[in-house]
Amino acid sequence: MAAMEGVAMQDQSQQQQQQQLVPPQPVAVERLNQAVVQQLNLEAVKTRAISLFKAISRILEDFDAYARTNTTPKWQDILGQYSMVNLELFNIVDEIRKVSKAFVVHPKNVNAENATILPVMLSSKLLPEMEIDDNSKREQLLLGMQNLPIPSQIEKLKSRIDMIGAACESAEKVLADTRKAYCFGTRQGPQILPTLDKGQALKIQEQENLLRAAVNSGEGLRLPGDQRQMTPALPMHLVDLLPVGDGVHTFSDASGMYMKNTPPLSSNSIGNQGNLLQASGAQLIGRSAASPSAATSATSFDNTTASPVPYANSPRSGTNMMNTPSPQQQQQQQQQQQQQQQQQRQKMMQLPHQQQLLAQQQFRQSQMQGLGQLHGQHQMQFSQPMGHQQFQGRQMASGHVQHGIGQSQLGQGNQLNRHLSQFSGAANSALFNAAQGTSNSQMIPNMSATVSSQSLLPRMQFGLAGNNPQRSHASQMLSDQMFNMGASNPGSMIQQQQQQQQQHNTQGAFGNMQPNAQNLQSNMVALQNAQQNHPNFAQQRQQNQQ
Amino acid sequence: MECVVQGIIETQHVEALEILLQGICGVQRDRLRVHEICLKNNPNLGNVASEVRLLCDLEQPEPTWTVKHLGGAMRGAGAEQISVLVRTMVESKVSKNALRLFNALGYKLDHELLRVGFAFHFQRGAQITVTVSSVNKMLKLHATDEAVPVTPGIQLVEVTAPASSENYTEVASAVSSFCEYLAPLLHLSKPGVSTGVVPTAAAAAVSLMSDGGGTTLFSPHTTRIKTAGLAWSI
Repeated sequence: MAAMEGVAMQDQSQQQQQQQLVPPQPVAVERLNQAVVQQLNLEAVKTRAISLFKAISRILEDFDAYARTNTTPKWQDILGQYSMVNLELFNIVDEIRKVSKAFVVHPKNVNAENATILPVMLSSKLLPEMEIDDNSKREQLLLGMQNLPIPSQIEKLKSRIDMIGAACESAEKVLADTRKAYCFGTRQGPQILPTLDKGQALKIQEQENLLRAAVNSGEGLRLPGDQRQMTPALPMHLVDLLPVGDGVHTFSDASGMYMKNTPPLSSNSIGNQGNLLQASGAQLIGRSAASPSAATSATSFDNTTASPVPYANSPRSGTNMMNTPSPQQQQQQQQQQQQQQQQQRQKMMQLPHQQQLLAQQQFRQSQMQGLGQLHGQHQMQFSQPMGHQQFQGRQMASGHVQHGIGQSQLGQGNQLNRHLSQFSGAANSALFNAAQGTSNSQMIPNMSATVSSQSLLPRMQFGLAGNNPQRSHASQMLSDQMFNMGASNPGSMIQQQQQQQQQHNTQGAFGNMQPNAQNLQSNMVALQNAQQNHPNFAQQRQQNQQ
Repeated sequence: MECVVQGIIETQHVEALEILLQGICGVQRDRLRVHEICLKNNPNLGNVASEVRLLCDLEQPEPTWTVKHLGGAMRGAGAEQISVLVRTMVESKVSKNALRLFNALGYKLDHELLRVGFAFHFQRGAQITVTVSSVNKMLKLHATDEAVPVTPGIQLVEVTAPASSENYTEVASAVSSFCEYLAPLLHLSKPGVSTGVVPTAAAAAVSLMSDGGGTTLFSPHTTRIKTAGLAWSI
C-alpha cells in the first residue's frame, strides 16, 4: 500500500494553512487499487491543490505589500479571500476523506522537518477552546448526576432522551392535526369546520348590522332634537369652535344665523320694506335723473340712490341711474319680494358701494337674459324664472323691473312689455296704472317740449348701431341704447318712455314681441316712424290712458 | 377615489388581529382616536342633500381636522365583479374653523361618532390603511369623553386604499389579496354587505396569542469541524 505523505506546512500567517501533496515517491512501485485511484482522482486533486497554493501565495504577497507600504488593508476583501481559500481547502479535504479509509497516513520517518508538527498531528486532544466548550456542555448535561455511579448516569440520560423523544412526537402530532384542520397542503375543502351556536350567530348578526349601519349611514347615532342640547363641558377640540350659550343652537337655520350676526342691518331692511310698501307709487318712471327718495328711511338704500353719476358716458353710470334701487321700485316688487330672500338684500347692502354697483350691473345683465327667455311665456310663469334667479339678488330684480319698465317704454319689440304684463296680482297692476297716470302727467309737458326734436331719431339709431352686435339680446341692446341716450339726453329718453308707455297700454300688442336683433332694427325703424307722427302719438296716448 | 372593504371582529380577538397585522404589515401600529362629525345640508340650492364629514384626530397633541366627502360607489357589472367597493372620495386637511364654515354654509349636524382603536399604514401594491376600531356614540352632543360603544362586543375593521380611475383595478386586487391574509380571523366585504364572524376565528386567535416557538426544548450539540484548527486528523 502506497503511503502518501501529507505534509502540513505551518503557515507563518495566522489564519492560513496550506497542504501540499507530494506525488508518490518513485521508489515504491506498488500500484494503488484501480478503483481507488479513480476515486481519488489524483490529477484533479493535484490541480486543485496547486491552484490553492497559488491563491494563498498571492494573498501572502498582498500582505507583504501592505506591510511594506504601510497602507491599511481592506479587511473585507481579505476576509473574503480567506473564506474562499478556506472553502476550497475544505472541499479538497472532503474529497480525499472519502477515500482516506484506504490509506493510513503516517510519516514514515521522523526527521527534522516533521518533528515539530508530528505530535500535533497525532494528538487527539482537543484544542483548548474546544476543550472548554466540551467541558461546559458536559457539565450542563450531567448536572446533578456527577455523584452517581456511571450506570445510573447512563440510565438517567437515557430516560431524558426518551422524554425528549416523546415531546417531539407529540409536537409532530399537534402539527399534523392543525395542518389537517386548516387544510394546509391538502387540496380538499375544509372538512371539519367548527360551527357557531345558532343563537350566538344570530346575536352577532344583529350586532353587526347595527354597527355597519352606524358607520356607513349614521343609523342609531342621531340624537333627537330635544336631546341636542350642547353640553356645557365641551371637549378640548371643540371648546373654542362652538359658541356655548343659553339656547343658542349652532345648528339653527343658516339664514337665521346670518341674521343674528347682522342684526342692525336686518331690521333696517325690514323697515325699509315696510316703508316702501307703504309709499305711494309716484315717481316711478321719471327716474332718468336719479332722485333720492325722501319717502323711505335712511338706509343704505339711500346711499345707492343718492349716488351721483360719476362718469357721464359710461354704461356703468347709466346702469347706476337706472338700476340703483329706489324706493319706488321697491313698491312695485312687493310681489317679488315675497319670493325673494332678505339675505341677498342684506348682502347687497353690506357690500361697499362700488361693488354694489358692479354687482347690480352684472345682475341686471343676467336678469335681462333671463327675461329674454321669457319670450312667449304666459304671464303666470313669471315667478318661475324669478325663482331661478333668486340667488342673484332681489335688489337687482328691482333694478331690472324698473329697467324693464323703462325699456318697455323704449321699443315696441321689447319683451319686457310682456314682462310687466306678467306681474300677477292686482297690486302690481294697480301700482303700474298709478305710475302710468303720474308719469303721464309728467310726460305731457315734456313731450310737447321735445316732440319737435327730430334730431333724436338719428341719435337713437346711432345709439343702436353703436351697441355691441354680439349682444343678441334685444332687451340688452335696448337698454344700452337707452342708457347712452339717457346719459346724454334725458329728454329724449322721456319721450321714448312715453312711447313705450303707449305701446304697453295696448294690451293686444303683446304678440308683437320679437327679441331678435334683426327685428330690433325694424322695430327701431318703426319707432322712428312712430315718432314722426307725434301729433297722432299724443292723441293715441290720450286715448289709451283711459 | 378609494377602494374600501369592511369587516367585523369580536372584541376578544382584537389583540390577536393586532399581532397578525403586525406580522403582515411590518410597521408599527398607530393609535386611533377620531371624532367624526357628519354634516348634512338641506337641499335649498340644489336638488339633493349633500353630506360632508369632518374628522378630528384627537390622538395628535394638537387636534387636526380633515374634511372628507364620500361619493357614490361605482356601479355596473364591472363593479360587481370587484370584491372591494370603489367610490369617490375627496379629502383635505382643514383648519379648525371648518365646522363653523360649514355651519355658515347651511350644513347641520346629522350624526357624530368616535372611533377608538389602532391603525396600520403600509405599502403593499398600494398604500393600504387598516383600521381596527370600536365605534362609539355620544349620548350628549359632542360629549366625546362620555362616548359608549355602539356594539360593545364587536369592533369594525376597515381596509382602505386610495385609488384613481386609472389604477383602481390594481389597487382593488392589492386590497383583496391582502384581505386573504386575514382570512383566519375575519372576512371583509363591501360596506353594506354583512359577513358574520368567521368560525375559525377563535382557533386562529388562540394560535396567534400563544407563545409559539419562543422556547427551545433542547439545544443541539453542534459538531465541530476542525478546519479552522491547525491540526488535521483524517
